[in-house]
Order: sequence, then structure tokens, then C-alpha cells
Amino acid sequence: MWTFLRIASSRVRGWFRQRSRDAELSDEIQAHLECLADEYARRGLSRDDARAAARREFGGVEHMKERYRDQRGLPWVDSVLQDLRYATRTLRRSPGLASMAIVSLALGIGATTAVFSVLNAVTLRPLPVPEPDRLVQLVPQHQGKRWILFNPIFEELRRRQRALSGMFAANDEGFVPVAFDGKTAVYLRASSVSGGYFSVLGLSPAAGRLLTEQDDQIGGRDGCVLVISDGLWAGRFDRDPGVIGSSIQVRTDACTIVGVTPAGFGSHRTGFSPDIWMPLRARTDPKLLASHTMAFFSGVIGRLQPGVSVSQAEAELTTLYQQIQRSEPPSSIRADALIMHLAPGAQGLDTLRTRFGQPLRVAVSVVGVVLLIAALNVATLLLARGTARGPELATRAALGAGRGRLARQLATEGILLVSVGGAIGVSLAYAVTPALGSLVLPHGLDTAPDGRVLAVALGASALAALLAGVLPAVRLSRVALHAGMASEGRATASRGGQRLTRALVTAQLALSLILVTASGLLLRTMIRIAGIDPGFQPDHVVVLQVHDETPGSSFNTPDTADAKARRAAVYRSVEDRLSGLPGVRAASLSWLTLFGGSDLWLAMIDADRPESREQARVDYVSSRYFDTVGMRILRGRDFAADDREGTPRVAIVNETFARQRYGGDAIGHRFALDYFSERNRPLTVVGIVGDSKYNDLREGRIEPMVWVPLAQAPSRVSSVSLRVAPGREGAVVHRAEEVLSATAPQVMVRKVTTLAAQVDDTTSRERVLLQLASGFGGLALLLASVGLYGTLAYTVARRRREIGVRLALGAQRHTVLRMVMGDALRLVGVAVAVGVPLALMSAATLRAFLFGVEPRDAATLTGACVVLAMVAIAAAYVPARRAADVDPIVALRYE
Amino acid sequence: MDQSPSEVPYGTLDLMVLKTLQAMGPLHGYAVARRIEQIAQGSLALNQGTIYPALLRLEQRGWIESEWGTSENNRRAKFYAITRAGRKQLAAEAENWARTVAMVSRLLDEQS
Repeated sequence: MWTFLRIASSRVRGWFRQRSRDAELSDEIQAHLECLADEYARRGLSRDDARAAARREFGGVEHMKERYRDQRGLPWVDSVLQDLRYATRTLRRSPGLASMAIVSLALGIGATTAVFSVLNAVTLRPLPVPEPDRLVQLVPQHQGKRWILFNPIFEELRRRQRALSGMFAANDEGFVPVAFDGKTAVYLRASSVSGGYFSVLGLSPAAGRLLTEQDDQIGGRDGCVLVISDGLWAGRFDRDPGVIGSSIQVRTDACTIVGVTPAGFGSHRTGFSPDIWMPLRARTDPKLLASHTMAFFSGVIGRLQPGVSVSQAEAELTTLYQQIQRSEPPSSIRADALIMHLAPGAQGLDTLRTRFGQPLRVAVSVVGVVLLIAALNVATLLLARGTARGPELATRAALGAGRGRLARQLATEGILLVSVGGAIGVSLAYAVTPALGSLVLPHGLDTAPDGRVLAVALGASALAALLAGVLPAVRLSRVALHAGMASEGRATASRGGQRLTRALVTAQLALSLILVTASGLLLRTMIRIAGIDPGFQPDHVVVLQVHDETPGSSFNTPDTADAKARRAAVYRSVEDRLSGLPGVRAASLSWLTLFGGSDLWLAMIDADRPESREQARVDYVSSRYFDTVGMRILRGRDFAADDREGTPRVAIVNETFARQRYGGDAIGHRFALDYFSERNRPLTVVGIVGDSKYNDLREGRIEPMVWVPLAQAPSRVSSVSLRVAPGREGAVVHRAEEVLSATAPQVMVRKVTTLAAQVDDTTSRERVLLQLASGFGGLALLLASVGLYGTLAYTVARRRREIGVRLALGAQRHTVLRMVMGDALRLVGVAVAVGVPLALMSAATLRAFLFGVEPRDAATLTGACVVLAMVAIAAAYVPARRAADVDPIVALRYE
Repeated sequence: MDQSPSEVPYGTLDLMVLKTLQAMGPLHGYAVARRIEQIAQGSLALNQGTIYPALLRLEQRGWIESEWGTSENNRRAKFYAITRAGRKQLAAEAENWARTVAMVSRLLDEQS
């Protein structure tokens, strides 16, 4: 080892002091030769003969020096540096090619790295906790379907099981009103977690302590404690350790901060980073805790005991689960059909993966294809140009450069391009990844590069280097050896080299076809979606997603009549004041939000058929709702200010409801909602509105729907909508928020958006994919056409003389034009033959994102081929024109 | 058997140089080459130049060290001397060599 190090250091030193050491060596050899010559002279040889004899005996001086130098310094560094200098010089001579290659490689490598970083963060990166691989998600299943774990069974399971070192339940809330120092409440993200949470995850506090089982006792609401995130600690408390023990108000409770979670820890769920953690049982209504019908946590995670396998744990937990279920009061659940499935939990509760895993994989494939095209493109250009350098290479080969040496030198060019492109690409990726990640999730997604990202970046670069550097180098070095110097520029393009270039161009065209087809399919999808009439008018409607935080009603205890009356009055005054704002054409409040992702179905008890229990969607809305969202009343009347508590109870239904229940004319019919106090208070249908989409433009079937005036059934609203004069959206939002906080401070704004944005959000995945596919598809086409152009232009230049002869012999110019164009179209033909099956296979993976168009859509595929052909023709036209314009006299004199 | 001078077996040149330097004290390259030729008495075909890469190799390993000086006929020359590590290496190599030679000759004797 020491010897190795000593040699290495001596070599490095030798490499740095090359010149002086060379001089020393020369001196030494000189001295040696003179000694030898003296010797021979003593033996009687003449001075000259003695010198000659000395040289003979010494052996080849230069050869020895060469060996000596190789041994002394770092010969490979020398030759690499030499190659680099040479490559830089060559590339500088064609800056256009070099910058084109660098830009396309940077985009390819950068995009691949960036998109993979997001995919990695969403689907691969484990939670930042010790031994994340030992975490499992408990997924109850009944008859093979996802089941719900109710709290009493969870508690029993937790108490009796031995396979896990611990398990916890968690419930996440995005909006919990918290007041610091008695000021106005703000929304924080919160997790309510059972006592084992932090010990199961294996975390230690950054300050204070974390929550324990002792904190999580039923009814522990009075001595409420909580843990805050490192982010909140830094952002709001400036990391003051004195904050431990202080109190903040969560909803109506004063809670004590007992500790801070470690920095870098998000939560038990990828992409969710709460600001506070509270004990779950202590914060939950005891009635809910005991419920066998209502679940209040979103998932359960456990940590396997050391040495216990997943299947062992699964077996134990399933047995226990069934036992516990059997001892429960009889129900429709078949205990022996229950299974406790254990899903991998290294990423925590899995929500992002299911939503974004597939689109991200598609996105990675798209950018991967672009990278492939970029690398092939660089290979084509280097190959085409390298072939033109044939005589030079042949000379070098003739002067004794070995094939390996030549190949290495040629490869250096490609690898240099890839390195520069890769470096730019990776820095680009580093810069844009957070923004890209926030497209998936506005906050909380940790996209920082890790080992996997690094590996992909390096892998992408290595692939590019292999294709763009090594491939042409190997090919060209072979050509160089074959080609005689005498043949000058003509014969150097061996048929093999030509064939490889053409194959590379064809591959680029074929790969482009995949992306063009995908763009076409997604474009048609978006056009189809854009053509759908939602049944309302989403433009110029501002939506405030709100929540009424008034304390009061809880699980199973409806609001008192008094509370309802107060609420109705507040909502009415909010609606009136909002409607009076300048720029507002109509304002309304509603229980649910159109295109908000939620819906509620209730059974209807028809007054004429009391036994009927047909389901319909229900929403509670204020009187100007239909004007605000732009739904049309087809028959009957709209809600009016007179529809309030005390006047006859009314409802408006949609066309589908009217048709399905009453054969069309529903006006005057009466039914009640099957819900607590509503059961005995029937509603009379006073109007019918046109059918509309509810949560997704792609909904195939319109569901029956009922609207009830908020004034007659004052539920807590979640949405405030304002139809505004075009262009007044921004100005109105601010005024509306002021009105809300003045008139109804308990109605807190969670999110400000527009109805149009809510509608668009439902197809955001498709839109982002379309942008990605079309943007990169365009780039792919551009690259492929540059490759095609380069190849043809080179071919034409090479055949100049031949074309000149043809023209001189009477060939028509358009024949020459057609010859070159025909050549290009033959390449396109092969590319289409190869690309169509590839495009069809790739399109199949898009199926989930398509609407109104089949993955094998013939028109789209044909269109893509036509686009490809047109781009190819455009790229081929310039070289073809140049061929046709060849002046026979000049061409024949040229060589 | 062919009586022409044999090639220098790989690695033995290093051994010979070390031994020469141990026996003779500091020498310049020419003297080392001369000494080895004398000992070999014509049974070794040695291009004297090849001594220099060998000297460099040994120096890189720390077995010999060099210094510029003046030769017996007043020429500037680089003198090489064996180091302590070199002596140790020589002892080990010599023993190794002896063992190999003994083994090979035993083998040859038995087979004849």
C-alpha cells in the first residue's frame, strides 16, 4: 500500500516537473554515452566509431526515454489532456454544431434529471426516519376490498399484537385555525397522531420532548399539549428554546408546546408537512372514539419487530383482526373475510404515489426519449463531420496512430460535448426541480438530489457519452484504417459509415414519431375536453374556499335551532354585502364547491311514495347561486329572498332528477331528505335547472341533483362565489375578504381561486403532460430534422461531382431535386415503419390520460406521420435545392 | 541448447541492480550497467539503456535514492545508492530467488 502511494506521488510529481526532469535524464544519458565512448576509445576505436559503438550498446535512446517518461509521469493524463485540447480546438472550429449539440444534450440530461428528481421524491424517497424499510402500512381488507379500521378495533389490535414494535394512527388536517398570543387565528397544517407516533417512527426532538402514550389519553383535552415542526419553530419563533412550555390557541383550546420535531422530518406521509402534531385520542370526541361506524383517521402505520417478516406479521394481525371482529356485536361484516394486509411503509401513508406516480413515469419516459434523440443526434453530426475528416484521420493512421488511440481521440469530442451539456443540464435540473415539484405539490415535497438522482444523472450522461462519443469514434477509426490517403475526400465515406449515419437519423425520426403521436393524442384529448359544455359558466367567477370555524356542533349532535337562525342571518348579510361590492354581478354562498372534488348523496323520501329511498346529490345554496355560477333555470323559478325559515320549504332539481323521478315535470312535487331533522320536513320543487357537470368535465352520466336554500337549512358553508365583471377578479378578492372578516370573522378563507381554475384543475395532469410531450416533441422533431439536414447536406456535398456529371450529361435539375428528396423520404419511410409500432406501444401507456380518443387512433397516428414527413421534407429541401443548383462546370473543376 | 546470450528474465534486472548497489556502494548508471555485464560475462544481452527505467522504478519504490555528483573521470553523473528499504527488499528477493532456483533445479534433476 505504502509502495503504491509512494509510486503514485512520485509519478504525480514527475508529471508536474516534466521539463526539468527531461533535461536531467538527457544529461544522465549523455554522461553514460560518453563513458561508454571513452571505453571504446581506450580499446582503440576512433572517436566517431567509439561514439557509434556506444550508441549501439546503449540501445534506442528515444525509445528508452519514452519508456522512462511513461513510467515517470502519468502518460494517460498526458494523452487525455492532449485529446481534450485537440477536441476543444476541433469543436471551436464548428461552433454551430457544438452549441447545438451542447444545448440538446443539456436539455435531454437536464430534463431527465429534473423529472426523475420529482418522480424520486414522489415514489421512491423513503421517510427521513431510521430504518424506514421496517415500516408497514396496515391496510384492512374485507372480501378483497379496502376496508375501514374503526377505533375500538384499532385499539384492541394495538394492545394484543406482538409482531410490531408499535403502531400508530394519524389524521391529517390542512386547515386548523391557530391563534398565537391571542391574535387573529391563522390556518396551520396539523396532524393528529396516536401516542406511539414518534416512538414508532424513531424520532428524537430538536427541542423539548415529543408526544408519548401518556399525552394521548381519552378526554385529555384540558391539558392539551402539542409538538411543533422545526419549520414553524424557525419561522415564527426564531428557534427560541423558550417557546417550550408556552401556550397557543388551537381552535378553542389553549395548548402547551412541549417540543419541536427534528429538522428535515416532514411527516408520516410524503409531501405532507404539518406545522403542529396533536395527540389523536385526547383531541377526539369520546363518542367518535367508541364508534363502530365512523372512522376518523386516515391510516395506520406500524414498525416490524426485529426479525419478524412481513408475512409473519400479516398472518398474526389477520388472525387477531378476525378474532376481534367475532367478539364485536353482530354485523354484516364476515370476520373470516377480513384480512390485515401490510403494504410497504417506507414512504409512509401512500397518497401521492397513487395520484402522480403514473403521470410522472410517463413524463420520465418522454424526457428519456428526448435524451436518446439528442445523443443520437450528436452522434450523427459527429459522424457526418468525422467522415469529412477522413483524409486527416487516414493520415494519422498512416503515421502510426493506433486504432485505439484514434478512437479515443474521436470519442473525446463526443464525451467533451456530453460533459459540458451534462454539467449545464444538471445545474439546470438543480435549479428547476423545486418549481417542477411544486407543480405536483405546492409545498412539502423534498426534491433535494440524493444518490438515486445522482445515479440517474450520471447514467443519462454515460448513455449519452456512449452514443454520442464512443459510437462514432469506433466507426470512424475503422473507416480511417480502411481508407487510403490517396483517395482524398471521395471514397472516405465507406458504405458502412453511411449506413450507420442513416440508421441513426432514421432512429431519431422514429423516436420523434413516438412523441409527436403522444402529443397528438393528448392534444385531441384536451380539445375534446375543451369542447364539453359544463352546463354552467365558469369564466369570471371568483371562488373563496372557506370554512365556518364557529365552535359548536360536533359528531352526532346537530346544531340547535338558535344556532341555525344566527348562522342563516350571518350568511344572508354576507351575501347581501358581497353582492353590493363594485364589480360584483352576483354573489352566493354554498355548502359545497362546484368542481371542488366533494359531493354528498342523500336518499329522498317522496311524499307520494314514503317507502322510496332513491339517492340524489344535494347542495345547500344561497339565493343568488344559479346566477353566480351561470346555471340556467329551465322551468319554474329561481330561489328568492323570501325562501327563508318560516316560509314554505322549497327545492330546485336538475333535469335528470326531474326526468328520472317525475318523468320530466317535477314542479310541485314534494319530497324530504333522509337526514336527521330533515326527514319530516318535505320540500316542494319550484324550479328545474339545466343539467351540468359536477366534479369533472369527463363525467359520462349526469347524476340527479337537488339544491335546497341555505336559508331554510343553514349548513356551514365551504364556498363563497362571486360573479364579477371581466378583469375585476383581483380587485374583488381583496374586498370580499374584508367583507368576510368584518361580517363573519368565523368564516375563514382557506384558498382563493376561480371557478374556471377549479374546472381546469381536474385536467391539470393531462395539460401538463400535453405541454411536456408537445414541447419535447417539438424539440425532438427539430433535432431529428437537423440530423436529417446534416446527413443530406453532407451526402450532397460528397456527390457534387457525380451530380455535376449527371447534369453535364443532360439530367434535368428537377430530377436531381427529386433524387435527394426521394432519399429523404426513403429514410422517413423506414422511420415510419419502425416508429409506428413503437408509437402504438407507447400510446397504450397513455390510456389513462386520454378522453374521447383511443390510443390506437388512426387519424392521430396518420397526422403524426404527416407532420414527420413534412418536417423531413422541409429539412431536406435546402440540400436538395443545393444539389439541383450545382453548376456542372464548377463541380467538375472542383476536385 | 542455444548458446546465444539470453534475454534478461523479467524482474531480475531490478534484483541485479539492487545487489550491485549493495555490493559496490553508490554508483552511476553506467557503472551499474558495466558491473552487471562484467558479472554476466557475456551471457546476458543487456541494452545498457534499459537500466534507467529500472533505476527509476526502484527509486519510485523507495529502494534506492539518487544524487548528482562527479564521476571518477570528472563528469557530472547521477549516483544511485541502496536504501534501508532496498536492503530489506533485496534480502527478501534474494531468498525468494534462491528458493525458486532450488525448486526449479530439483524439478529439472528429477525429470532427467
